[in-house]
Amino acid sequence: MSEPLVLLVMVGAFAGLTLRFKLPLGVALALAAAAGALAGGQGLALRHLVEGAFGFFDIILILASAMIFMKVLEESGTLDALAAAILRTFRRSRTGLLLTLMLLMMFPGMITGSSLAAALSTGPIVAPVLLKLGLPRARTAAFVALGAVLGMIAPPVNILVMIMGAGVDMPYVGLTLPLLIISVPVAVFTALWIGRGRMRIPPLDELKTLLPGASPSFKLYLPLLLVPALMILENIHPRGLPGLGLPVIFLAGSLVGAVCGRRFNILKATQRAVEQAMPILSILAGVGMFIQVMTLTGARGWTVLAFLSLPPALLFAGLAVGLPLFGGISAFGSASVLGVPFLLALVNRNALITAAALSALAGLGDLVPPAAMAARFSAQVSGEESLAPVLRACAGPALALLAWSLVVLLASPILERIL
Amino acid sequence: MSIRRTSPFILSALTLVVCFFSGREFLAMRAADEIRPGPGLTAARRLSDYFPPLKGTPGDTPVYVFQGPAAGGSVLVVGGTHPNEPAGTIAAVVLAENIRTAKGKVLIIPWANASGFTHSDPQEASPQRYEISTPGGRRSFRLGARVTNPVHQWPDPTIYVNPGGQKLAGIESRNLNRAYPGKPDGSLTERVAFAIMALIKAEGVVLGIDLHESAPEYPVINAIVFHENGADLAATAQMSLQAEGYDFRLEASPPNLRGLSHREWGDAAGIMAVLLETANASHGRLKGRPSAALVVDGQDKFYEKAAKLGRLFVPFGPAGIPLDERVARHLAGVSALLEALAEIAPAKAVSVENIPAAPAVLTQGLGAFLRPPD
Repeated sequence: MSEPLVLLVMVGAFAGLTLRFKLPLGVALALAAAAGALAGGQGLALRHLVEGAFGFFDIILILASAMIFMKVLEESGTLDALAAAILRTFRRSRTGLLLTLMLLMMFPGMITGSSLAAALSTGPIVAPVLLKLGLPRARTAAFVALGAVLGMIAPPVNILVMIMGAGVDMPYVGLTLPLLIISVPVAVFTALWIGRGRMRIPPLDELKTLLPGASPSFKLYLPLLLVPALMILENIHPRGLPGLGLPVIFLAGSLVGAVCGRRFNILKATQRAVEQAMPILSILAGVGMFIQVMTLTGARGWTVLAFLSLPPALLFAGLAVGLPLFGGISAFGSASVLGVPFLLALVNRNALITAAALSALAGLGDLVPPAAMAARFSAQVSGEESLAPVLRACAGPALALLAWSLVVLLASPILERIL
Repeated sequence: MSIRRTSPFILSALTLVVCFFSGREFLAMRAADEIRPGPGLTAARRLSDYFPPLKGTPGDTPVYVFQGPAAGGSVLVVGGTHPNEPAGTIAAVVLAENIRTAKGKVLIIPWANASGFTHSDPQEASPQRYEISTPGGRRSFRLGARVTNPVHQWPDPTIYVNPGGQKLAGIESRNLNRAYPGKPDGSLTERVAFAIMALIKAEGVVLGIDLHESAPEYPVINAIVFHENGADLAATAQMSLQAEGYDFRLEASPPNLRGLSHREWGDAAGIMAVLLETANASHGRLKGRPSAALVVDGQDKFYEKAAKLGRLFVPFGPAGIPLDERVARHLAGVSALLEALAEIAPAKAVSVENIPAAPAVLTQGLGAFLRPPD
């Protein structure tokens, strides 16, 4: 069977299994991958299914440990206490509150280069604040998801650019300004657009009824200080600190959280956290199998070439559609598989500005199904059960980021002179 | 028993079956490839001889020494820095199985990142092995991954700051060619890099040659990447290669791209450092179905189309770029660099006999220069 037909079989199987048979997304992706391997004449390709599933093993561990951390913060009362503190501090300025929350949301992504780290670490802090101010759950989740994605794109650490840079031997130097140009205007727009006219900061008397009564002790905030502190230390002083990795950092925060706040059963909390995370973890394993079989059957190569075959006039349209679309399977995968060839195809433009713009387009993939990792986790931390309303709420700012990235890309010869 | 009660057992049993059969395939990658060095071999060492803490680790790897009777310089040839770039490994194996040194010393490391040969890159769907026909039968070689096996070095940091201070994506912490000059107490990959640096210093290496491959859509291809210490050498070699009909580009090693062999060997050990690149369709992003045939024959319809679209940096026709041709280029490159060394620094010259000539490799096939299997 030819490569496009194999891809059609895989996408068709995935759609049929999810829409007709209502199978969980992770299972459907795994079965679609197996169908693709059979259609591509590769048999069951057991080794490839297992190897592909391990492609996101590290991310799976990060998610599982971050979910435990999130549950611990919730059970220990840390989240309520912090939401209260933020509301008290910023109750006089809505714009100030929104912009502070957006910066808070972006911060973990800026230092780890991962939207998931942001959605999972400060998402549970920001979401309760917005919810208490009356923002609907879907919009709250959109705020968290977009902040996480913008944090992933913003400097100083952008792993998507690093991945593309590794593919073309471009050092990760001189990217701060291009990345700020892309991320900051959209972040300001997103914060104000989502919060515009829909939030109400209650007067102090009313606020008191929404917030926990007693002043929390400082130790309640220890896990929240420990996790970013370890993330920062690992990045600014990598030689002084052994490579802990995000899973260990989140677990260390969980252990500290377990003894710093309200008493709760940590084993049961851990069990509930892993149970909640399981559907998303299985999606990641399924996505890994899907990509591996796409590569195995040649469907990946066909897809990349199809985008590169577009005439020059349509190349920008191709990358505006292709990068986020492939990012719907994996943003990092999109940067590697499509980002590198696109960067090479635009070799006559400024590489730093181009890579920055392409990273924003690939990063948008974290809001695109089937994986839509940032959106899914943001929905979870905001208590929104359905993904669709979150994606609808994300659409405006996401399109703004897409358009702005294209403007920056097209204007790169002018920007190059200015910068 | 209801389905609800039995399904955990069925799923567990199924998982065990999957683990057994796939695990068997993964573990097969740990069986080392065979090499039969020729009569020119004067010593078979291990990298750990130069840095003992590496002994017994998955980073230890053979070093073949070819010492000539006359005094001269020392040259290091490294293959397998990236185990998914087979022309580098095979060129090193071909050299080890054929050469004799008349003057000076040649040191050959065919599998520089030994750990990288024990696994394959997830989502690249690469074959685990490929075969080359020799007159006495087929020789099988492992096609590993670009980076160290995570079973041997894990977890990756979020951001990797390499010994040269360069910030890189976390996975690059397992890339040997980003880890130079290495660290004695660093990760496994950094210790391997440190051991290679220790070898360079202990053996008084004057010229280091790192053999690589890159995807046809990558601009640094069919190239000699050189440290400024080796600029004259690279230019001299390029001229003689062009006279032989081989088009090699000269690429200066960027001073701000830290951790690479062509930068750090030169900076940290003061040697002439060069890196050779050939074009390999099997690890590009545009490739069709990955297979052992793609590795060896190098034919790919998608790359052919990409070449017509002007998306590649090398010509790519229906004949593809077979392994024979890629290894022949490397051998021609090594020969030209040795000749250039003799011209530029006669006192440090290394005279090597019996390097298979590139035209002979192309006409007789690579297998004619590999010893047959048992």
